Amino acid sequence: MRWLVGVGLVVAMLVFGIGVYHAIGFLKGGRPAVHKPNEESVTPLPGTMYVIQQGALYRFQHGNFTQLTPESGYMQPAVDPRGGRLAVVQRKQNYSDLYLVSTSGKVITQLTQDSSPQVESNHWSFYPRFSPDGSRLFFDFDPKDGYNDYKVDLAIFAGPPDAAASSSVQWSYPNDYTGGDVDPLPLRNGSLVYVKYSIDLQFQVHSQVWLQKKAATDGVPLTASDLDCGQAALSPDEKQIAMVCRKSSNTSNELDVASFDSTTGQLGPPTTLVSGVLAASPTFSPDGKTVVFLAPATAGAGFQLWTAPASGSSRATRVTFDLGLDASSTPVWVG
Amino acid sequence: MHVRVWVIAAGFLLSGLGGVGAYFLPVLQTATSSGAVSGSVSDLNRVDPPTTPFNVLLLGSDDDSKFAPDRLNTQSMIVLRVDPTTKQATMLSIPRDLWVPIPDQGVGKISTAYQVGGAQAAIAAVESNFKIHIDDYVWIGLNGLVSLVNKLGGVNIQITNPVMDDFYPADLSATDDPYRWYRVAVLPGPQHLDGVQALQYVRSRHGDIRGDFARSERQQQLLLAIKAQSSHLNVADLPALASAFDGEIKTSISVDRLRALMSIANDYTGGNIHRILLVPPYTSEGWAAGQSVVFADWSQILPLVQKNFA
Repeated sequence: MRWLVGVGLVVAMLVFGIGVYHAIGFLKGGRPAVHKPNEESVTPLPGTMYVIQQGALYRFQHGNFTQLTPESGYMQPAVDPRGGRLAVVQRKQNYSDLYLVSTSGKVITQLTQDSSPQVESNHWSFYPRFSPDGSRLFFDFDPKDGYNDYKVDLAIFAGPPDAAASSSVQWSYPNDYTGGDVDPLPLRNGSLVYVKYSIDLQFQVHSQVWLQKKAATDGVPLTASDLDCGQAALSPDEKQIAMVCRKSSNTSNELDVASFDSTTGQLGPPTTLVSGVLAASPTFSPDGKTVVFLAPATAGAGFQLWTAPASGSSRATRVTFDLGLDASSTPVWVG
Repeated sequence: MHVRVWVIAAGFLLSGLGGVGAYFLPVLQTATSSGAVSGSVSDLNRVDPPTTPFNVLLLGSDDDSKFAPDRLNTQSMIVLRVDPTTKQATMLSIPRDLWVPIPDQGVGKISTAYQVGGAQAAIAAVESNFKIHIDDYVWIGLNGLVSLVNKLGGVNIQITNPVMDDFYPADLSATDDPYRWYRVAVLPGPQHLDGVQALQYVRSRHGDIRGDFARSERQQQLLLAIKAQSSHLNVADLPALASAFDGEIKTSISVDRLRALMSIANDYTGGNIHRILLVPPYTSEGWAAGQSVVFADWSQILPLVQKNFA
């Protein structure tokens, strides 16, 4: 009996040693800690912000995050300037739809019906953005080519917010097989700023901030093709544009702010707020003096909220520390 | 009685220390090789960092159930040259449809060399056509890449343009019908991608006018992101990483060689890693033997390769 206990103890010791080995492996091999936003309390910013993490919509107010929806594929919120509601994308595997939701996250209306049982007959809807008077909703949609199922390029459409899908008008016509036009920013004068992609004869991809005065017209570039600028944001007074320019780099970029004259369509020389990082999805504060953007603090880490003075007068400040915010969803900042 | 308790406690303690020691032994060994700990544990298996340039052939295959495990093509072929003396690295992507003579196989797409003769045939095809020497190879399958990226906690990638594909193969799971497909939309701008998303990014080709060349560029981009993300790893992480792959990674690089390479990995941070794609005029698209292929202009390619890889 005694030797059985002894053997059992030796086996238990060996199992313990192996367990320690694997426990260290688990701890060291684990992902960097990413917390849910509502688990983190941070330095307050004025006003209210909406952000996305793991497919859930969060409200950031008084230094605290409140989860408004479940983690169900929500992304790219946009606030109705008339107040009380947001447009948001809900993404599934083969399609995405636009919804109007209340500021507490409750679904009011489903705006698009993009799902289909046949895989290639599904559609994408992305980047909802209200016009400044709230009368129209601009968004991205993938109009299919009836002759070639491989051609899937996003184009910008606009329609009344409550009937965006049925009464929408196609605004932009993307360059074929580039992925399309994205990030619509409607102006008060009825024009539209967005990002257009092109691929040159040397197979280099370029993105340009583009200005278009009316639907289905050509438009003009605001930035040079070799700057590779995108992810544009307009200041509330429409006198500045923030944008991310990668300048041929695939591994880093810079966040620039330039003066903008929406009447003449002239963009001034840019001021660089941050460079050598992976800045994403900038947006202006309600007073236009601050730019908030997303970027990882270290290589490969999750995307955090940062702020920088729009004037470029001082360095960027990190607001959050352990989040994994959705970098393709521009934060919405309202007063 | 008290003595027995102490003996048992000491047994568990020693066993636990053994587990700790087994895990961190490679760290100590690498520390000695990189000179971080000089002399104190000089009897451990010492590895010296590489001092001469070397070429590694990186191979990636679709290894889903559409293919017999021993009959895989290489969808991705990248030659990586590392020069420890100049601290420069260069990646050359070889188009998978490059129409070349393959030793002992005749003329065909270079991606088929692996199918017939495994890694050695792929190496022979690269060496004979590009006139360079390959020192080592690393092969990775679909799930291996997904596991690698997930084990690293995801990667941050700057997506240059929307990657749209309505016919992306739904073949990751062995239980799924490998001939089904689903839709992919990778939106532009910096993104944090998990393993499946990263694979979609480097594998999708239908919606991009550059086709396979776009994929090659994205594959190089992912390699840089993996390199950046793994910079915080050390050899003590290798057991956990290795256990995740389940045969989805094969390599000629020994553990000692890998430890030696890891000791210089942080010398290469992006700015000194150069990337070459064999886009036109180095290549042109056409047809051969009833297949869509890529023809090489060797008069332009060989000087480029000799300059960077010989």
